[in-house]
Amino acid sequence: MDKDFFFDKKKNDPISRVDGRAKVTGKATYAAEHKVPNLAYGFLVGSTIAKGRIKSLDTKSAERAPGVLGVITHVNAPKIPGYQTGKDPAKPPTAGQPLRIFYDNQIFYYDQPIALVIADTYDRALFAAKLVKAQYEKEVHQTELETNLSKARIPTGPRKEDYKRGDADGYKNAAVKIEQEYYHPVEVHNPMELGSIIARWDGPDKLTVYTKTQGVESTRNSIKDAFKLSPENITVNAEHIGGAFGMGLRTWPYEIAAIMGAQKIGKPLKLALHREQMFTNVGYRPETIQKIGMGATADGKLVGIFHEATANTSAYEEFTEATVNITQFMYACPNVATRYRLVPLNFVTPIWMRGPGEATGAFALESAMDELAYALKLDPIEFRLRNHADIDPEHNRPWSSKHLKECYEMGAEKIGWKDRQLEPRSLKDGDWLVGYGMGTGSFGAMRWVATVKAKLQPDGKLLLQCSVNDMGPGTATMMTAVASEAMGLAPDKITIQMGSTKLPPGPMQGGSNVTSTVGSAVHDVCAELKMQIAALASKEGSPFRTRKVKEVKAEDLVFSDGSVALKKNESTKISFQDLFRRNNLQGLEITKESKGQEQPYSMYSFSMHFVKLRVHPATGRVKIDHVVSCADAGTIISPKTAASQMIGGAVGVIGMALMEDLVVDHRFGRPINNNLADYHVPVNADIPNIDVLFVNKKDPFTNPMGSKGLGEIALVGVAPAVANAVFNATGKRIRTLPITPDKLMET
Amino acid sequence: MINFGYTRVSTHKAAIDAVRKDSAAQWIAGGTNLVDLMKKGVTTPEKLIDINNLPLKDIRKEGNKLYIGALALNSEVAENELVRTQQPLLSQALQAGASQQIRNMATVGGNMMQRTRCPYFYNTDMPCNKREPGTGCGALKGFNRMHAIFGTSENCIAVHPSDMCIALIALDATVLVTGPKGDCRIPFQNFHRLPGDAPHKDNTLERGELITAIEIPDNPYQKHVHYLKVRDRSSYAFALVSVAAAVDLQGDKINDVRLGMGGVAHKPWRLTEAENFLKGKTATEATFRQAAELVMKNAKGYGHNNFKLKLAPNTLVEALKTATVKA
Amino acid sequence: MARKKLPHPPPDQQPHEGRRNFLKQSSILTALAVTPASLLKAAELKLDEKAATYFEQVPLSLEINGKTHKLSVEPRVSLLDLLREQLGQTGTKKGCDHGQCGACTVHVNGKRVLSCLSLAVMQDGKKVTTIEGLEDGDKLHPMQEAFIKHDGFQCGYCTPGQIMSGIACIREGHANSEEEIREYMSGNICRCGAYPNIVKAIAEVKKGGQKV
Repeated sequence: MDKDFFFDKKKNDPISRVDGRAKVTGKATYAAEHKVPNLAYGFLVGSTIAKGRIKSLDTKSAERAPGVLGVITHVNAPKIPGYQTGKDPAKPPTAGQPLRIFYDNQIFYYDQPIALVIADTYDRALFAAKLVKAQYEKEVHQTELETNLSKARIPTGPRKEDYKRGDADGYKNAAVKIEQEYYHPVEVHNPMELGSIIARWDGPDKLTVYTKTQGVESTRNSIKDAFKLSPENITVNAEHIGGAFGMGLRTWPYEIAAIMGAQKIGKPLKLALHREQMFTNVGYRPETIQKIGMGATADGKLVGIFHEATANTSAYEEFTEATVNITQFMYACPNVATRYRLVPLNFVTPIWMRGPGEATGAFALESAMDELAYALKLDPIEFRLRNHADIDPEHNRPWSSKHLKECYEMGAEKIGWKDRQLEPRSLKDGDWLVGYGMGTGSFGAMRWVATVKAKLQPDGKLLLQCSVNDMGPGTATMMTAVASEAMGLAPDKITIQMGSTKLPPGPMQGGSNVTSTVGSAVHDVCAELKMQIAALASKEGSPFRTRKVKEVKAEDLVFSDGSVALKKNESTKISFQDLFRRNNLQGLEITKESKGQEQPYSMYSFSMHFVKLRVHPATGRVKIDHVVSCADAGTIISPKTAASQMIGGAVGVIGMALMEDLVVDHRFGRPINNNLADYHVPVNADIPNIDVLFVNKKDPFTNPMGSKGLGEIALVGVAPAVANAVFNATGKRIRTLPITPDKLMET
Repeated sequence: MINFGYTRVSTHKAAIDAVRKDSAAQWIAGGTNLVDLMKKGVTTPEKLIDINNLPLKDIRKEGNKLYIGALALNSEVAENELVRTQQPLLSQALQAGASQQIRNMATVGGNMMQRTRCPYFYNTDMPCNKREPGTGCGALKGFNRMHAIFGTSENCIAVHPSDMCIALIALDATVLVTGPKGDCRIPFQNFHRLPGDAPHKDNTLERGELITAIEIPDNPYQKHVHYLKVRDRSSYAFALVSVAAAVDLQGDKINDVRLGMGGVAHKPWRLTEAENFLKGKTATEATFRQAAELVMKNAKGYGHNNFKLKLAPNTLVEALKTATVKA
Repeated sequence: MARKKLPHPPPDQQPHEGRRNFLKQSSILTALAVTPASLLKAAELKLDEKAATYFEQVPLSLEINGKTHKLSVEPRVSLLDLLREQLGQTGTKKGCDHGQCGACTVHVNGKRVLSCLSLAVMQDGKKVTTIEGLEDGDKLHPMQEAFIKHDGFQCGYCTPGQIMSGIACIREGHANSEEEIREYMSGNICRCGAYPNIVKAIAEVKKGGQKV
């Protein structure tokens, strides 16, 4: 690709985040920060038991506390029409009955909301919340995966049948084989912004909300179903959200509670979760036990893989994710079988967490690949090359594009893989043991549906509108880059409006789809704009029209700086302003829906992660020295934000690999480290320089730009790269995450 | 949080009178721990007496001692020229604690008064003898990975979370206190206490007694000191185990040595036996290992924290190794 | 959790039901105890007005971004909530409210502190600088420019705290190497994982030598 493709040509620099100024000045407004007059504050009271029934509730003291406007519980909650139908107002991940807040007295998990206290100030709501008293009929809860494995069941939803090609036991007869179990605990999204909503009823059947969601359209649908409102009477706004990583992929009970509360007291209501509630009420990456059996011939050709994952879900819903799917297509292997099972436990329902099941699955698969490579005395890259899947072995069809081998090469070079020794404990730096590891990642390259409205003004300014929003990757920046390239406009001439249901519908931000989906829609609407401009330029009296040339086509034109010129002769040029004036136009406005088409290809993004680290054997400390992440994600639209996304993914999974672990005291059925002091996420000092390399080759089939998703492959494969490097350094294979000092310390 | 009354005082007497008159009143200085505990409902004073205006911020030399006012900020102490040159172990320990923002708020006195980070203490609907005497110890048979291995009782296995105090106990600091009965000096070793059957008492101060300063006697520990803190992430985390080591080294010979250990007991843990063993010996890893074994004689694990039985001696050896590296 | 090594105790070791009852009661007792007696009594007697007077407001004067504010606050209000909820200055962020994340970092009398753990009433007479006070007219502060240039953020929620912390990091003299910056910026959590870019931004501003 051209060097300056998708760059800000004037500055000769990749485009900086277009909402950067708003974010560095504190002006970017997040859900709880919208200035809504006459606001009341809500605070949720949680159950102190993990299973049972509320016997009685005493809300009298709370109701009489200063400033209190109301206390809502299952006893007095307004009837939510959608709750009566038994339908699923909150759009469950797959199957089950979503939690209906304040519906009845049943308790399914610790800290399940039992009351909403509303007061005139935040501090008063918080204080009064402490005065609500509950008596319970306690039942025996189940919160431990390992002791409930006998309850493991195949999900009832459509997605997760057992998979088999060849002989499920094929690996067992291989010359070299391993059988291992891998575990990771509950990991919690913990975006820095707390789950927050402001709900305002503008009339008896008209509602506006500002909320933390990854999709304003889907939130509107949930609200529509719950409150039986017509969609045009619901406005959902979420332009900026302070991270989410998946927790904003559904509408949570607290959001319904806030809407209910605002209705009940007849005032706009702000409800922000406390950090502790972020651990207990808005999903997490489920605890998962994985078994892998893997066998290869003596010369390193895979014979068979068996992969089973058992994860927890809640006691009232089924949550499933693609934990084992990666094993089905990653390597050329004749005998592959996968199984996925769920165990219901007394927690809130899990929700996809960045690189969802794939990151979990890849930890097991890529650790096992490393173990087998050691058993074969093969370099793990060489082992992977020998089993490279040239076509998709699961669907037996070609890839739309796959450049994983280039990733191996680029990354190995950058990390200095040649210095790695096959024998663990070979490299030392003083008292520290040095190791190298790698892991592969992949994720489906999806494209959904989006509609974008474009308004081109005579002064050459372009306004693009779409309801899609941005939890951080840089959606608006990507849209600007695509439009800038297509229309030859400087980025600062382009304005993006997004994050509201008042705008044309866009997709949810999930599954790494947004660049492909919305970028394509921007591309298509710009193509349409260019065609219309070409049509105007073909009209009588246009300087482009000559005796010979009766019609100009968009592809004959060069668009730059708010004007259009003939490709063949750039001195034949007209500004949009002149063109529109000649045609008596105030500008051009086009709304266009855009979606992908079924293709006879398997479409995936791929990544390769390399880690170099040190382990201090006496104290078990791990210090990551260098991470190199290589991505095959098709054309890179916005290099700067894309690199940040890759870096962020690696940082997130360093947390998964080394420290994140929600600990539950099963006696009480409740987490005991549900705060950011005791549940550790990486801090600055944990993170080394991270180099990001892009293959940056266009995929011919995914979409017009040739891009593939990036958000998930940034994570998938990093955790095993860390664990594999730890093994290379120490000779200790850690199959139970996180890899904390106590697991590595030696005498 | 409950609401409370608020008063600012600017003399010792006013401060002491304020809490003597009102049993529900409590002093506040930096507030980094107290405000957190109040938000959690663990501590519920009805009145806060703001003592930040007391003239207790000085850091100065007094004869052969370093005087550090109780209201001196953690960051100011850590970066103070006198502290860095004369008591570098204290500086190191302070910098290993919390974050710079918190060190900019937290005071020396407050650091000593901070409560345990035990999750059962912090969660008001969990059993905890420290928070609510008689309710039992949630950690004893619960999740006790962060908990104590020395000096525990069946009533409490919490640890003191301070880094600063580990250096202070190693450096033989003295706590200067004023109170209704007048002034007194408490050796640092006697300031914090073991849980015994009264785990709700973290220290030996009586109601109305105010820490005014700490004093550290001059010592030969400038060159060979090291504060090693092993934790679950590289910064901004409490210690699994930490060691404050100060060595007076002559050639390879240990003239004298001071050792404190954190993350292992209800109070900052002084390793006197190891110190005595090391005096006069040659600084080798083997010697350090022998000293470490002595330390561990009375250690006891409670399950999740059993790893500390290994980590503690290893950390001690590593701290001594680093401290005795020649410049 | 042979894995998490926290076994379900056998039934006889389950926390004693009696104790649980006691716990329940005692937490009620705690609730009573935490409630200022006068207030509870007032609540029970439905003396709302009288109860309300307990929530006494205290006068407060402080300078925020160069502007003096004369206010009246309940003593329990944090500086963070004062800024965000009473003054509408939402540039300072709430991430944990317990001093565990750094999103609420502001400068008080020139030092970086956590506004969530600062009681507003204790800031009387002090000078507070927040992210809103950094721009000079339309001109961004060099640290703000550097964060944009190096893409030192994604979602932007921790960014005001990072920038306030980054400026302080240089002023304190703790930005002399990348390693030092990493350590002294560890009180600001970025869940999007922009750390390497944050370090680059701070290192560049430090190197540029501009007044921060």
